[in-house]
This record gives sequence, C-alpha cells and structure tokens, in this order.
Amino acid sequence: MQSLELKNESLIEIATFLVRRWSEKENIIIEFSDKMETRTRLKENRVILTSIQKRLGSNFEKYRQLRTSIWYESMRIKFCKKILSNDYGFGFILNTLETLRVEQEGRKLWKGMDKEIIFNYTHMFVARPQLHTVYGKARIVEGFYQYFMFGALKGEVQSSDFERIKKATEFGKKIIEECIKKNYDTEWLEKNVNVIIKILDIDSLLTIPISLPFMKAGMMISEKELLKFLKVIAKNKEVDFGKVDSNAILSGDNIYNEYQVLLDENKKNDKKGIIPESIGIQIPNQINVDETIIYDINLINNLKTKFRDLKSGWKEQYFTSGEEFDVENYIDENKPFFSDIKKSIKTKIVILLDHSSSIASDAIEYKKATIALCEVLSVLKVKFAVYAFSTENRSVICWSIKPDNVKWNKIAAKKLAQIVANGATPLAEIYDKMFQILESKRPDIFLTLTDGEPSDSDAVKNMIKSLKRLGISMIALGYGPNTIRSTTIANNLKHLGYEKTLAVSRLNDIPKRVLSILGQV
Amino acid sequence: MSKEIDYVDWNNSIEILNKAYQADLFVIIIGPKGTGKTSLVRNFIKSKNAKLESINFSLRTRESHLIGTKTLTNGTVSFDEGILIKSMREGSILYLDEINAAEADVLLRLDEALDDRRQIILKESTGGTIKAKQGWFVVATINPLTHTGTKELPPQLLSRFPVRISLEYPPENIELEIIKKHVSGNHDSEISQAIKLANILRQAAAVEELFYSPSLRETIAFGKLLDTGMSTKDSAKIVFGNVYTQWGNIEYQKVADIITSMFGN
Repeated sequence: MQSLELKNESLIEIATFLVRRWSEKENIIIEFSDKMETRTRLKENRVILTSIQKRLGSNFEKYRQLRTSIWYESMRIKFCKKILSNDYGFGFILNTLETLRVEQEGRKLWKGMDKEIIFNYTHMFVARPQLHTVYGKARIVEGFYQYFMFGALKGEVQSSDFERIKKATEFGKKIIEECIKKNYDTEWLEKNVNVIIKILDIDSLLTIPISLPFMKAGMMISEKELLKFLKVIAKNKEVDFGKVDSNAILSGDNIYNEYQVLLDENKKNDKKGIIPESIGIQIPNQINVDETIIYDINLINNLKTKFRDLKSGWKEQYFTSGEEFDVENYIDENKPFFSDIKKSIKTKIVILLDHSSSIASDAIEYKKATIALCEVLSVLKVKFAVYAFSTENRSVICWSIKPDNVKWNKIAAKKLAQIVANGATPLAEIYDKMFQILESKRPDIFLTLTDGEPSDSDAVKNMIKSLKRLGISMIALGYGPNTIRSTTIANNLKHLGYEKTLAVSRLNDIPKRVLSILGQV
Repeated sequence: MSKEIDYVDWNNSIEILNKAYQADLFVIIIGPKGTGKTSLVRNFIKSKNAKLESINFSLRTRESHLIGTKTLTNGTVSFDEGILIKSMREGSILYLDEINAAEADVLLRLDEALDDRRQIILKESTGGTIKAKQGWFVVATINPLTHTGTKELPPQLLSRFPVRISLEYPPENIELEIIKKHVSGNHDSEISQAIKLANILRQAAAVEELFYSPSLRETIAFGKLLDTGMSTKDSAKIVFGNVYTQWGNIEYQKVADIITSMFGN
C-alpha cells in the first residue's frame, strides 16, 4: 500500500478545477476539514470536505470517495437553491432528498460517474452506524436515511418503525420523481418534507447526531467484506443504474490514472532540496482563499498580446547579408536579407514583492498586477520564483509564493491572495532571510518591487553588495502614486547600490516594466 | 473531394453580408478560431455566384503578394498582378483571411484601395490607376488578439470595414445542428455531451484555468470519429483530452478527469 499523504497542492488544484467545472461556477473554493462532515455553504461559495486522511479504506479508495464527494457537492451547487444544516431533522431530511435529486439530475450529463457513485454508496453504507447504536427518535431518521439511500438497513428496528420508514421512503422517491419530471426545485421539495416528518412521527427540530466514519475506531474492513456490501448496493440500485459489474467497480480502473498522476506529483514535491521553512521563509498555508478576485483577465490578455513575440520565440529581422532574400526590400533599398532571430527569455528571475502597510489601500490592484505578471511569465516559459514580505504579530515574515521549481498554478495565486499588507520595509532583514535560497539557486536577476524606502538603508547597502558578489543582478522597481513620487523613490533606491532602478506610477504598468527588463537581457 | 456542407446561419450573418454587399460596404468578421468564419464567407460567395479571390495572411505575406511583382520573361519585363489588383480588375469578391496575422506595413497599400474611391495607383508597374470594377467586394476576417501571432489591426484600416460581424461559438443546439451536417451516423446524445464538454473547456480557458479552448473543428472531428466506430470516450480523449499533455500532467489530468466523469468507460 502506498503510504503517501495526499493532501498536497496538486490535489487541491485538481479538486478546485473539478468543483468549478462540474458546478459551472467560477469562484467556488475548497477547504478540507478534519472535524466536519462534507458540506457546502452556497452563500460563501465554499465547499468544506472531510479530509482525505479521515476517510476509510486504502489511499486509492479514499481518493475515490473524495472525488465523488466533490461531484455531489458540485451538483448541489448547480441544482440546489439552498442547503440546510444537517444537524436537525428537517434539514437532514431535505438534504437527503436533495442528494438523490441532484444525483439523478447530474447523471444525465455526467454519465461516467455511475461506477464511482455506486462505489461511494458502498463506503457511505459501511460508514453508517448500526441502528442499535443510535438512540431515541434519531434512530428512525437514520433508518429512513439508510433505507432511502441504500435500500437496506444496518441492524433492526421495530416493525412499526420499519413500516413508517418504508412508507416515508416510497413517498420520498415519488416526490423526487415528480420534482425532476416537472422541473421543480428545492423550494417545492422543501414543502413536502413535512409530510415525511409526519410519516416518521418525529419533531422537525429533532437533533441528528453527526455520523462520521472516523468517529468510530477500528472500522477498517477487508476487500471481501467491501465487495459483499457493494453487491448489496448494486442490487438495490439496479432499477436506477442497471446491471453493473461489482468487481470492475471495486477496482476503479478508469480513475486510477489520475490518482497515479497525483502520486507522481507527490514524489516530485518530495525532492525539493532546500526546504524554505528551515531557513525562516514561510509558505502561506490557507487553501480556502478565493483567488479569482485578484485575476484581471483583461490585463492578462493585454499583456499576452503585447509580448506575443516573446512567446513565439522568433522575430523576423533584416540584415545586409544572409540566406533568405527579399526582393521588395532590395528594390526599396533596405537591407534585403532576413532571418528569424530567436527571442526567448533565458533569464532566471526572483521577484520580491513588498507587502508593507503603505500598499494596503491598493492591495487588490497590486495583486492583480503581480498575478498578471506571473501568468505572462508562465506563458512565456520564464523560470521565475516569487516571494513577498509582510509583518505579522510584530515580526516580519518572508513568504514563498512560488519557488522556481514549481509550475505557476492557481495554488500559488491563492498564496498571494491571502497575504495581508502590513508593517514597514525592513529590506535588509528580508534579504538576509532569502540569502541562503539565493545563494543556492543563483538567479540572474533579483527584482525587488517596493513602494517605499527601506527602514534600514545601511544594512541594505551591505546586503546588496554581498548578493551582487554572488553574480546576481540587483534591480529595484519603485512604485509611487504619481510620476514624481515614483521617480523619487527610484532615485533613492539607486543610492543603495542597485544596478538598475525603475519607477512606475500605475500598478498596471508593473508587468510591462518587468517584462521589458527581461526582454533586454 | 469533400462535399460542400450547408452553412447554418444561426445569427443572421448571411443577411448582414447581403445587406453590406447591396450597400457596397466592406465587411470584417471577428471571432475566435474555428467558429465558422471561413465557411460563412464561402457560403456567401456561393450564393452570389461570384468569382472569389482569396489570400490567407501570415507573417510571411508580402506587399508583392497583394499588388504584384515585375518579372523578366524572354528578355521583356512584365508585371505579374497580385491578388488585390486582379480582383479589382475582375470585380470579384476578395477574401482576406486572418488579415491581422500580417505585419502592419504589408497592409498599408490596402488602405489606398479600400477607401471610397476604390482605386489604387500602381507605382510598381506603369504608375497607372487601377479602378475597381463594379461589383468588387471585400470581406476580411480577424482572430481575437489573444490568438498567437496576431497583431492589432491599424485603426485606419479597420475603418475601411464599417460592417463588423462578431462570430462567437454557437449555442449548444446550433452547434449540434452544425455537427450533424458533417456526420452520417446518429450520435445525437453523444455529440451533445461532447459539445457540453467543449463548452466547459472553453469556459475554463476563458478564466485562465486551461491553456487551450476547443473550437467547432474539434466537435466536428469528434462526430466524425464516432462515424468510424470509435468509442465515445476514446474519441473524446483523442480530440479534446490529449492536446493538454503539452502543458504537463496536472493540466492533462484535469481535463481527462472531466472526460471520465462525462463518458465513463
């Protein structure tokens, strides 16, 4: 069995992509929780998933369950008008009905999910409690859930209760059929929940105990047992899903490839060499951040257009001698030979972003500009790393947004999105923190983007000297609210010993300036 | 030889083209790759029964391709007319495909020919004035600027094409109708799925989540592969999925996963 932790960035990237595509909603964010059952907060555009480690079965099985959970939540986002809390009877029953409704609606388009749904049902069934362990009226609700979802009960209930459960299940299935047929939505279904509550003879505010697989110790079951459960589910679901091959479902061949990719990415992440944390650089670790707000698609597209020559990597230039001859230019008495000149950026660059408090008022715009820069650098296939600094709890922190050996992705954007601009500009301290990384990576250019003068200028001078000694070209880009201010900043920076200083007064110009530096090298 | 497929005029483009033709106003069609710009023009020309001169612009297109060039045959210098001059003399329809793929200076001479007087001074040859024959009509297409290798069209040239048709990807039902014209078998539900898939990928590309968005050509190719008896999932992987491998494993896997959840095995 592979003993790999799957809570990595690739998993979040794929999960975020899937939830957004499946639900057809752009700004959904994903978050893993060790303590909560999977739930979606529609208003916050947030999906909270039970973390993969807390699920049952082998790592591959855990991954399959997670993937199906993401699918169900995506369908909820797409088809549900509201999602109530699972903690009390009314909400629990409505959500149960909705699960089946969104599943049926979703399967119309996502026809490839059938096997995974059945596999997931099996694990859900395994994870449900034995009825005799649920006390009070909650038992009849649990019984209803099991009978409604799986067509079977774990354990026994009184015969009168069973009659109620059966009747409620029949009614539930009937209204779902009607709901789908007549294109009704959550609100219509909600009106019918009371009927089920009456049939089950419970209080609509009855507390429902949380049922999480990891809350019971020693639940690991063998593959043989799992297959037994799977066959029961497959049989009960035959009306909806048709005859299925239980062994094929258990093996899950069709999604093994993608799981393999995640494992490979994990291995790649293992071989990172120097670990930034060990030398005082931190990685922003929140994943439930909406990075879409700092994406300015127009700006990105504009830049891509502007630097397309660099993308194609070739530019036509005319010379007095060469291999290809152009008659027109000869007649016009211009240089008549032309050649294609390779124009790609070979420079390795490290970018340091100032997130001191002075940038706070423009933080979003500032981030938009840097995101656009990173997107374009990644399209142009430039090797780059991005760091940022800010102050938290009175100590200055250097954040690693994107190391040079990892591809630019939405996770890096999420890291940037969560940095709060705060504090002063202690550049020397930051340079000192980054020294080891810079020493080992040796970028060609180290670009510092700042909107103020460093609070420790003498120390900065020394640091710049020692970084230059490593063969790194030190460049600073000063940002100010207007031309005069930005030029002043750039001039002051120049005295600190940077090889080159530039000034920008409009945030959107930042990417252009940086790219033009790279284009010249 | 491939048979001519009827054009599905879903947003009244043919009518606009006809009206522009009547009013003697030149037309530019703007839209992403594979939205049927060329098919639209081909169909329009067929309906007009006119002669067509067309040129596909690229970085290597020279002014001489448009105007013409002097040649030496058996000791005499003669002038080989370029496509612009030829079409003006004939009064045919001139189709300038992907006009913004060319360098701006190549297009300068177009300005002269396309303005109200519809004439050009042939300084390359005898210096005479070529006046366009009655019925001369110009249609151009441009790809949006994000397309690799495209340039911004100089504004003075853009103003020579006062009728602008924007051609986006059609709605799902129309796309199905278009694809059905290209395939013989009955795979409506599979093709509808593929169109949905294509739209999901287009949407993802629009928000920078993917690097590439599939065009109508791909959905048509998907239908044609189904005609050959290939399975739905394989066709989808081949047409829509595999292209993403060039951007790395994760990029490919994202798309492969969407395909798996849509088509299963």
